[in-house]
Amino acid sequence: MVAMVNIPETVTAGTVVEVKILISHPMETGFRTGPDGTLVPRNIIPEFRCLYGGEEVFRAEIFPAVAANPFLSFFLRAEQTAEVELLWTDEAGQEHSEARLLTVQ
Amino acid sequence: MRGASDTMPLTRRRMVSAGGAALALPFLGRGAQARGSGRVVVVGGGFGGATAARFLAAFGHQVTLVERQPTYWTCPFSNTVLAGLNRMEAIAFGYGGVRAAGVTVLQDDAQGIDPERREVRRAGGPAIPYDRLLLSPGIELRYDALPGYDQAAAEVMPHAWIAGAQTRLLRRQLEAMEDGGTVAIAVPDNPFRCPPGPYERASLIAHYLKAEKPSSKILILDAKDAFSKRPLFEEAWAALYPDMIEWVPVSSGGKVVEVDPATMTLRTDFAEHRVAVANVIPPQRAGAIAETAGVADATGWCPVDPETFESALVPGIHVIGDACLAGAMPKSAFAANAQAKVVAGTIDALLRGEAPGPAKLINTCYSLAAPDHAFNVAGVYEAVDGALAQIEGAGGTSPVGAPADIRAREAEYARAWYATITGEVFG
Amino acid sequence: MRILAIALLAGLAQPALSQGAPPGAWSCTGCHGPHSGTTMDLRTRSAEDIDAALAAFRAGTRPATVMDRIARGFTLDESRAIAQWIADHARRE
Ligand SMILES: Cc1cc2nc3c(=O)[nH]c(=O)nc-3n(C[C@H](O)[C@H](O)[C@H](O)COP(=O)(O)OP(=O)(O)OC[C@H]3O[C@@H](n4cnc5c(N)ncnc54)[C@H](O)[C@@H]3O)c2cc1C
Repeated sequence: MVAMVNIPETVTAGTVVEVKILISHPMETGFRTGPDGTLVPRNIIPEFRCLYGGEEVFRAEIFPAVAANPFLSFFLRAEQTAEVELLWTDEAGQEHSEARLLTVQ
Repeated sequence: MRGASDTMPLTRRRMVSAGGAALALPFLGRGAQARGSGRVVVVGGGFGGATAARFLAAFGHQVTLVERQPTYWTCPFSNTVLAGLNRMEAIAFGYGGVRAAGVTVLQDDAQGIDPERREVRRAGGPAIPYDRLLLSPGIELRYDALPGYDQAAAEVMPHAWIAGAQTRLLRRQLEAMEDGGTVAIAVPDNPFRCPPGPYERASLIAHYLKAEKPSSKILILDAKDAFSKRPLFEEAWAALYPDMIEWVPVSSGGKVVEVDPATMTLRTDFAEHRVAVANVIPPQRAGAIAETAGVADATGWCPVDPETFESALVPGIHVIGDACLAGAMPKSAFAANAQAKVVAGTIDALLRGEAPGPAKLINTCYSLAAPDHAFNVAGVYEAVDGALAQIEGAGGTSPVGAPADIRAREAEYARAWYATITGEVFG
Repeated sequence: MRILAIALLAGLAQPALSQGAPPGAWSCTGCHGPHSGTTMDLRTRSAEDIDAALAAFRAGTRPATVMDRIARGFTLDESRAIAQWIADHARRE
């Protein structure tokens, strides 16, 4: 499992919903030595984005000080039924995304 | 005011010296010299405080122990009570043995410290003057840290992390549960009392359920991604309790962020768990007297000198056991007892105007995965750059994959440890 | 005979209990006291015995469940001092 996501499925128009995501990632700082004594190369998730109906509504820059398995939570106002997409790429080039349909009544 | 508390212990001291100082101590019988004459007050009669009080009295000091409870229930082996392997009486100790060692035991609540006048204020009588003060108040559960979890909630979702009535309550709930129920154990983030404790608890509850209610499940909701002796616990769970125990680490959404006792629900950021029995272990801090005395810092724990355990914040006050920040040393009964003896020697030296010697400390913690299956983690510690650090090359855990007879022998050692240490602490 | 001799000596010399404890020694008594059963009860052992056992535990030549990992935390001199201290102070009745 790469990430756990929690977004309400159905809400009324205008509701402020909380988006929560827990990403499984080591967030290597680049300062740690591995078992063989050499530095483990830095590999963090420098940037995280959220699109709602294709439009960017949230973006976060993440720094090496953030611990492994970062947990993010933020709010967005539900205006129309649309997909909420969560996107991030780590420094090893691994791209990930999670999408959930947010239904507005 | 001082008269009453002075004369009694003085007589006792003479009695003790005349009869051979260490007669009341289980291990040390010879060569002990009762030659001190300081007034020491110890707050908290648990593994740290009761040990220190008995040794300081044997060294000839006038020792007053303030402990609010007449009976102490040990957390060590309280998990065996939950499993129905022992009765509450097996983990109960009174203070007769501590009194017999020449300590004045006051069953009272220490309510404040005046470091200028060097006095301990208490609920039930006049303040007690001291030359040196030792605090071993254990932990306070933080009822402000987990939404929904307050003192009333603990009567429904017991923590059982301070043994006694809470242990009995959790045991009753397990007994009353129907077969097929889920028992949840919510584990806080570090630091907390007894890092392997929640997993030993899961094991021993599984031992009970497997025999009595075999369709039941145990769900460990954890605010951490790693735990003490994990490979050993997981090996034991796979062998002894297959498919009974599920561990959900924080990276899989295991951290409990809210509880609702009315519906027996534990909430994480990603799921809701309705369970039959909820053992909620909340975050903790040093016993309240530490904050009152000004020896706790913003973390809620007490920074100390790693060799003398004197508070880094208030001189003349020593803090040991779970309440102190002991660097790499875990919060265990073994550690509290080991620290107590070192500090008793330190306080004795300081009161006689001598410099305390260098110290090393050992910790060994056994965990029972079943009555005949135990393993341990050990460490040797010394002060490095102002903090207790583990000595490299020493310490570590029992090996994974050891044969059953070794695990059984370790269970015997665990019981022997319990008998020996409680003898040293309570007499 | 030997035990008696040590007891008499200790009775005369009175090594200081609190000050004399070498680093680490206090931690031993929580396990190795009365009630602890034959393996762990050190009250009948001589300093030489305890010292030899600690050396073997450290070297890994004596089977162990925990003492190997503990003994490695002490130097030869330190464990010798602990062995002597235990032999000097343990109650033998
Ligand atoms: C389930 C469980 C299992 C455990 N198993 C083990 C084990 O196998 N091995 C091990 O080494 N450790 C174990 N522990 C850890 C061990 O219980 C603690 O580390 C140990 O009790 C700490 O000792 P202490 O002296 O710091 O505090 P405590 O033993 O808690 O003693 C503190 C005492 O101070 C008293 N007190 C506090 N404030 C005041 C005041 N203001 N006035 C008067 N009295 C006061 C309290 O009533 C209490 O009696 C376990 C813990 C748990 C929860």
